[in-house]
Amino acid sequence: MKERFDKIIIGAGLYGLYAAAFCAERGQKVLVLEYDGAPFQRATYINQARVHMGYHYPRSLTTAVKSAGYFRRFTEDFGFCIHDKFEQIYATSGKFSWTNAKQFQEFCRAAEIKCEEVAASKYFKEGMCDGAFLTEEYTYDAKILQEYYEDRLFGNSAVTFVFHARIDRIIKREEVYEIVLADGKSYETGYVLNATYASVNQIIDKVEDVSGGSGNGMSGVSDSGSPGALQQSGTRSAPGKAAAEMFQIKYELCEIILCKPSERLKGIGITVMDGPFFSIMPFGKTGLHSLTAVTFTPHITSYDSKPSFSCQSGMEGRCSPENLGNCSTCPNKPESAWPYMSHLADKYMKPEYAYTYVESLYSMKPILKSSEVDDSRPTAIRVMSANPTFVSVLSGKINTVYDLDDYLK
Amino acid sequence: MENTTQIVKEKKFISLVIYLHNSAPYLKFFLDTVIRTCENHFEQFEIVCVDDACQDNTVELLKEYVEERKLHVMVNVVHMSFFQGLESAMNAGRDIAIGDFVYEFDDIFVDYDEKVIMDVYYKLLEGNDIVAASSKGKMRLTSKLFYALYNKTKRGNGKIGPETFRVMSRRAINRIKSMGQYIPYRKAVYMDCGLGNATIYYDSRDVDVRVKNKTVASERTTLALDSFIYFTNVLERTSAIICGVFLMVTVFMGIYIISDFLNDNTKPVEGWLSTMGFLALGFFGVFALLTIILKYLSVMLNLIFKQQRYLVSDIEKVVKH
Repeated sequence: MKERFDKIIIGAGLYGLYAAAFCAERGQKVLVLEYDGAPFQRATYINQARVHMGYHYPRSLTTAVKSAGYFRRFTEDFGFCIHDKFEQIYATSGKFSWTNAKQFQEFCRAAEIKCEEVAASKYFKEGMCDGAFLTEEYTYDAKILQEYYEDRLFGNSAVTFVFHARIDRIIKREEVYEIVLADGKSYETGYVLNATYASVNQIIDKVEDVSGGSGNGMSGVSDSGSPGALQQSGTRSAPGKAAAEMFQIKYELCEIILCKPSERLKGIGITVMDGPFFSIMPFGKTGLHSLTAVTFTPHITSYDSKPSFSCQSGMEGRCSPENLGNCSTCPNKPESAWPYMSHLADKYMKPEYAYTYVESLYSMKPILKSSEVDDSRPTAIRVMSANPTFVSVLSGKINTVYDLDDYLK
Repeated sequence: MENTTQIVKEKKFISLVIYLHNSAPYLKFFLDTVIRTCENHFEQFEIVCVDDACQDNTVELLKEYVEERKLHVMVNVVHMSFFQGLESAMNAGRDIAIGDFVYEFDDIFVDYDEKVIMDVYYKLLEGNDIVAASSKGKMRLTSKLFYALYNKTKRGNGKIGPETFRVMSRRAINRIKSMGQYIPYRKAVYMDCGLGNATIYYDSRDVDVRVKNKTVASERTTLALDSFIYFTNVLERTSAIICGVFLMVTVFMGIYIISDFLNDNTKPVEGWLSTMGFLALGFFGVFALLTIILKYLSVMLNLIFKQQRYLVSDIEKVVKH
């Protein structure tokens, strides 16, 4: 007997659990399928933990304005997990920056976000930065957010969780999607939400269309960040597969370094932006800082439609181009780029802002190929089919989660 | 190479900044040499390649090399927007390097023993901030002439010579950065930065194999002329001499005219001719001076107003899969 749900959500990251809570509140019966053993084990936890206000996108005003709009709402709804008691400094490098100090100020004015000039010499070595700005940007604590959602959803009879779920195939029939797991269990639903971030294409690829209907593949494309950016002409899937197109993405295996800040650095976050630079800022309320660098954070890149990496060889059963394992707990994870990242940061920052290495976290990051030039990060939501409905979401920002609302009603 | 296992690796972080311009034939040997040396002697290092608009397959070869050798070290490529010449390109490379000590390889033709790479490093540790490696081999006549004239006319102390590669400390880089935005000729600026300089001379080998690169050669000629203007007073002197000569001619003509005037046997036709001759000469002098002044002005404008001295199209990390 196949169990039937109103909605099946694949991926227990923030987007998945937000959707689960949203639907459960509306009386729907929801199933959450998660590859790992707990929620928030990957990108939701392993990232800079930035609640974006838009500063990061001086070359994409649309992304910036949208981030700023959701910033307030997110900080009100999730205030309990947000750390806002620190000075967030954005600086423009004197050399190699795609944006200079004046351009950044003009950009902030246009996006109507806070930007007070401070002396660059207070934080940076002489001649390294041509401008430094005090901004308003916060960081969230994924562990607190995780507890919040666990409290809310684990005891909720409307929501069922299946951890360590290995999806074998997703069958599209006339009225329903059937999801078959590797252990033989099978579930039915009229609505699938694919919120798996780096695995988004892997899930799309598991869909088999046996409904017989034709020409009814993708009923709508929505890209809420930059309209039209996603209407690329990808190749059609093989016969027997759903006529669903994969996202045009590349994959980067990224390293976030957690470090212990010195007293001087504790209350400060520093981002030298838009170029081959770095960022060191509080990591939620953990008391640690996260250190990342544009050049050194991505270790290896895959340009295939599904993530295929040389480190997957010998990892069969754990990680493959079809099923991505958790990079942070992988025995084959790359060696830390700490020497490189710390040297880059030390080249810019004054020595009193010191920090020491604690640990490295790794996660896979999908990047839309269409967003490379303007460095925008649109939230891409695609309705791949309607009745039965299959929606895929891909977003690199925590506070644009509200984009989902329209698709969940 | 001997006793490599016994060597205690240096803790310092090293950056290798390498200039690439259509130099595919030498790339593999060069990388083999420097990477072997660095892997044996340093715990950590990075490679920054500056691709000065290579039109051959240099960059592809580099990527293949990184992929094949499964290099442990981080390799970044700075792609220049268009051909900008050795000086600008290497300025870009040095600016992006993050090392405690930065090697600048102006040329990837290896005519030295790999031991020299470490020799300059040890020399640096002795208390020099910039140490260069220079070939003992014969210089081309033009180079000889350039350095002789340059060192004779330059402002300040310290003489420069041909250099194959050099290593410099972060302190030297910071000093240079605070000296001004624009570094038209690195050697000259490094020499003038006031920190310890040293040169190691090595015996060059297989110099004959060298293929001369046309674009680079013509660009070096322009740079040589510009360097005279930036760093020496040769033009000041030349213009002063021209001024002096014409002043004397004027004085002489003045005396001639006066004596002619005092002399009763004046023949107007002849006097008119000589006056015209003087005028023509005078104007010639004025124009010669103007040319020099204009050149001077353009150089000064460059120094003052142009901030961004190189244009980079892309910084690419050579990625592994």
